[in-house]
Amino acid sequence: MKNKAMGLLMLALLPWLGACSSPGQVHAWEKGKLAKPGMAFDGDPLDLRFVQHIYTSKENSSGGQGVGGGGCGCN
Amino acid sequence: MAVIDRMPMLITTSSSDKTQTATGVLLASLVLPGLAALAGMAPVAAAAESAPDKTTVSVKYGRYTDSQPGWDRVTVASPQVYVQAPIAGDWSLEATGVLDTVSGATPRWHTQHTPISGASQMNDQRRAGDVKVTRYFARAAVSVSVANSNENDYASHAAGLEARWSSEDNNRTWTVGLGLSNDSIDASKTGGSGPGGQKSTRDYQAGLTQVLTTHDIVQFNLTRSVGSGYFSDPYKTFDQRPDQRDAWIALARWNHYLEPFDAALRSSYRYYSDTFGVVSHTLGVDWVQSAGPWTITPGLRYYSQSAADFYVDPILNAQGQYDQIAVITRAVKRAGNNQSTDKRLAAFGAVTLTIKLAYAWSPDTDVDFKVETYRQTADWHLGGQGSPGLDPFRANFVQVGLTHRF
Repeated sequence: MKNKAMGLLMLALLPWLGACSSPGQVHAWEKGKLAKPGMAFDGDPLDLRFVQHIYTSKENSSGGQGVGGGGCGCN
Repeated sequence: MAVIDRMPMLITTSSSDKTQTATGVLLASLVLPGLAALAGMAPVAAAAESAPDKTTVSVKYGRYTDSQPGWDRVTVASPQVYVQAPIAGDWSLEATGVLDTVSGATPRWHTQHTPISGASQMNDQRRAGDVKVTRYFARAAVSVSVANSNENDYASHAAGLEARWSSEDNNRTWTVGLGLSNDSIDASKTGGSGPGGQKSTRDYQAGLTQVLTTHDIVQFNLTRSVGSGYFSDPYKTFDQRPDQRDAWIALARWNHYLEPFDAALRSSYRYYSDTFGVVSHTLGVDWVQSAGPWTITPGLRYYSQSAADFYVDPILNAQGQYDQIAVITRAVKRAGNNQSTDKRLAAFGAVTLTIKLAYAWSPDTDVDFKVETYRQTADWHLGGQGSPGLDPFRANFVQVGLTHRF
């Protein structure tokens, strides 16, 4: 029940975020800092896979970043 | 090191720099779906999404070791390869391959390592790979992916479909994704307490990436995961888990550029809740510091989870020692009901400290080295004491990599 309520709350959040009209009117020529390599959300694909694989095998929780990845029988 | 980490990135409106600008922006868009929003930097009426103009090859070697007091448990050696290539202008192909060689042992009961409790020995190889094909449109991209992973006793097959599109000003990107996976475990010939079984999972994801200011970009992803089938661990004794696990996962990320330091501060928070009764919180912070050809990235991650509804605590005797007989007796009495002594379903907290060092050998060649140390203990459970009677757990992971573009 608690889980369901939390899910509904999150669903409600998403359109709210999407509805934020123009929170940032940043023009094309103002995005130099945002394009710095360090500002990337997911930089190194192999690093990400390796580390997420470890956490998946040592903690209950996983996911949230992308879809389509496979599992393992890691202990 | 990632493609994105050393890509040519000149942001300018000068027409003479068009090519270089577009290269950086478009590579960023490809490697980081969320950063499609940045494609507006291109001075021409550029697509927000476009195939990369270079092929990238990365190789990496990872090594993992873990331990608890008095017991070195598991070691994994993991060579990996990644390739990303443009195809026919509007397409790209990404592929990875990994070979994990695993050896060591894990407990069958809580964190016990005694002759009476025994341990699950493992000496296995895991071969895994995935392929992703992306088609680019004017301000959108669609990706299809497949993934496979095979071990002696375990096979996983997965597929994904993802679409993303950007607003006209390229300050906002929406993403939707669908993931399917089918896993099977057969422990009948590898020392399992039970034969194993199959499970399937569907993931539905929606996300939003938004440029907030000239120095801030945020992202929010919401994932619904629905799983059914065999979730038990046949290598844990008397382990029986529900045959359904559904989860909600919310991920929020915020990257902030600090002008005085020429550094980026990356922060993230993940909320996770599933029908096993586990709720977890994950906080991450990275400081990305550039210094000429060097990039130094220290990081900190904190994780805390509550226990699953069916997790059972250890029973301790009058001397405070683990009472194996009492634990077995209780497990026998509860046989047929959901129960698990797997410490990964207990309440605990964990901290990871990270340092990554990268060096740009040339504009198209990078080397990187990363060390991480991880400690997991009930004492670090958020809001107080976690599950009692468990030994703390440590792991160290190291990676060394080389990336080249041509």
